[in-house]
Amino acid sequence: MTAPINAQAVMDFLKPRMGARFKTWVNICTHCGMCADTCHFYLANNKNPKMIPSYKVRFLKDILKKKGRVDRAYLEEIYKTVYYECNVCRRCSLYCPFGIDIAYLIYVLRALLNSQGLAPEGLARTVLDYKEFGNQMAITDEEWLETLEWCKEETADELVGLDIPIDKKGAKILYTVNAREPKFYPQDIMEMAKIFHVAGEDWTFPSRKGWDATNLAMFMSDTETAREVASNTFKRAEELEVKQIVVTECGHAYRSLCYEAPLWLGYTPKQPVVHSVELFLDYLKEGRIKLREKLKEPTTVQDPCNIIRNGGLAEKNRLLASMVSEDFRPMKNQGNYNFCCGGGGGAMPMGGEMKKHRLASGKIKAEQIRETGAKIVLVPCHNCIDQIRDLITEYKIDAKAVHFKEVIAEHMVIPKEMTPKED
Amino acid sequence: MDLYFFVEGPLVWIAFLTFIIGTILRIAFFISRSRRMDLPMYRFLKWKYVFATLLRWLLPINKDMAKNPVFMPLLYIFHICLIAVPVFLSGHLAIWDESRFEWSWPALPDAWANWMTLILLAISIFFFLRRLISADIRLISTFSDYLLIIVTALPFMTGYFLTHGTLESIGFKGDTMYLIHLLSGELMLILIPLTRLSHSVLFFFSRAATGIEFGRRGYSM
Repeated sequence: MTAPINAQAVMDFLKPRMGARFKTWVNICTHCGMCADTCHFYLANNKNPKMIPSYKVRFLKDILKKKGRVDRAYLEEIYKTVYYECNVCRRCSLYCPFGIDIAYLIYVLRALLNSQGLAPEGLARTVLDYKEFGNQMAITDEEWLETLEWCKEETADELVGLDIPIDKKGAKILYTVNAREPKFYPQDIMEMAKIFHVAGEDWTFPSRKGWDATNLAMFMSDTETAREVASNTFKRAEELEVKQIVVTECGHAYRSLCYEAPLWLGYTPKQPVVHSVELFLDYLKEGRIKLREKLKEPTTVQDPCNIIRNGGLAEKNRLLASMVSEDFRPMKNQGNYNFCCGGGGGAMPMGGEMKKHRLASGKIKAEQIRETGAKIVLVPCHNCIDQIRDLITEYKIDAKAVHFKEVIAEHMVIPKEMTPKED
Repeated sequence: MDLYFFVEGPLVWIAFLTFIIGTILRIAFFISRSRRMDLPMYRFLKWKYVFATLLRWLLPINKDMAKNPVFMPLLYIFHICLIAVPVFLSGHLAIWDESRFEWSWPALPDAWANWMTLILLAISIFFFLRRLISADIRLISTFSDYLLIIVTALPFMTGYFLTHGTLESIGFKGDTMYLIHLLSGELMLILIPLTRLSHSVLFFFSRAATGIEFGRRGYSM
C-alpha cells in the first residue's frame, strides 16, 4: 500500500537543482569503490556493501531515469539511507578520484525528501521554533535575558568586575551560542564570560533572535529556513556594529555562518565569523590568557567534521589541543581526514529514531579514542561531545569528553585585581 | 569490399568526429550549465586549488594511493597504457604519416607497446573479475560498468592479435582481424563522449569544482 508521488513535483524540484556538477557526478561515477572504506558506517557495520557511499546516492540517478515516477515506499527507503546511514561528514568526498562530492548528493536527496514532507521529526520541529523564536529550543527573549542575568549573578563572585554585556553597540565581538547552552548547559556561558573577562575582551550578546548560531535546517536541506536563521545573526551584527562574530564550540553553527551562509545569502557578509577554537588559540598565543598549568592526563582531540573538514581549522584545533596538554596524543587520521563521531549531520537532534544507528556507527570513533589511551577528549563541538559521551558509556572507554572552554576557564591565570577578596 | 571501404574510410571519420565534437560538446555543456547553475564555482574560484587537486590526482600523490596501494597503481598504469599505446604505436603513426595530414611524432618502441598492451589486458581482466568477485564492487556495479571494460579492452586485444597473427590458424585472417580491430577502436571512440568514459575530460571539471569547494575552506585536497 504505497501512495504514489506526484512525479512532476519531484522533477520540478530536482531539475533546477541539477547543476553541471551534480549532473556530472551522477553520470560519471565508475563505481570503483574507493569511497567504500572511507565511511565509518561501512566500517562499523562489518563492511556492509550497502553502506558504500556511492551506493547510497544511487537513488538520484534512478529517480532521474524514472522521471520522478517513484512511490512513497521508495522515498522512505531513501530516508533510511540518507538519514540513518550517513552523517554527511564528507569524508568520502575527499577520497573520490573524480572529486565527486557524495555528501552533497546526499543533501540533494534530503532536500527532495523535505520537499515531499519527509524529514526527521527532531529536525522538522526545530524549523518551527526557529521561525517563531529564532532558536531551536523555543526559548523566548525574556527567558534568554533571564538566563544571562542569572549566569552573571552566579559568576560575579568568582571574578571581580565580570559582566555579560547585552546589545553593546560597537563591541568588537558578537558572541553567539548553541541554544543548548541556555537550556541545558549554562555553565558554558559562564565559562565563556570568564574567559572573555580575563582576556579583557570587548564583547556582547545580542538580546534578540540571532544569538542561537545553530542551524539544524541545514541538515534537512531546508535552505529557506537556513538562510533566515543565519541572517538573524548577521542582522544583529549589523545593528550592533560589531567587528566579528564568534561562535561557541559548536561545529555546524560555525560552518553554516562562515561557509554556507554566503551561499544562501548570495553575498559574503562583511563580519568575519570566528570559531572559539581560533579565538582561544589567539588568546593563548598573544598571552591574553595564560594557563596556570596544562592538563596532566593524556589528551586527544576530536576533529568535528563541520569545523575541520568543512571549516578548515584542522591545524588550529590540533595546535590548541597541544597547547593545553602536557601529553597530547593525536588520533590516527587527525585533521581533515579524521572520521566522523557518528553524531553529525543532524544525528543528535534526531533523537530516539537515530540512537541505535549513531551508537553503532560511532564504533570507529570509540576505537580511535581508545587507541590513543587518552583520558581526556577535547571536543570543540556540541553534537560531537554529546555523541562522544554516549560512546564513552556504550563502549566503556575510560575517558571523559570536555570542551576547550571548560579546560581554559579552569586552568587560566586569574589576574590579582579580578580575584575576589576573602572576607 | 564495401564493408572494408566503409570501416576504413567514412567510419573512421565518423568515429573521430564523434569523439572530438562530442568531447568538445561535453565540455561546452558543463561550462554553460555551470555558468547558470553552479555560481559558487566561479565566485570562489582560486586557481591554486584547481591546479593542486588536478596535480595530486593526475599523479599518484593522493590519499587513495596510501589507502589502496594495489588498486591505485594498477589504475594509473592502466590509464597510461590506455593513452600511450594507441597514440604512440609505430603502426598507428605510419597510418597518420600516410594520411592526408602527414602527421608524425615519435613512436614507442614496439617491444614496449607489446608489453603495455599485455599489461593493460591483464589489468582489464583484473578489473572485470574484481567487479564480479568482490561483494562490495558487485553491488555497486551496473551492467554498463562491465560492458565498458570490455569496450575498452577490445581494441587492445584485437590489436595484439592483429600484430601477432594470433588467431590466423583458426580462420581470422589478417584482413578480418584488421576489420574487427578498426571496428572496436571506432566503437570506443564513439562511446567516449556518450558514456561515462566521458570522465576522460569531465574528470578535470569535477575535480576542479570540488577542489574549489574545499579550497574555500582553506585547504587543498
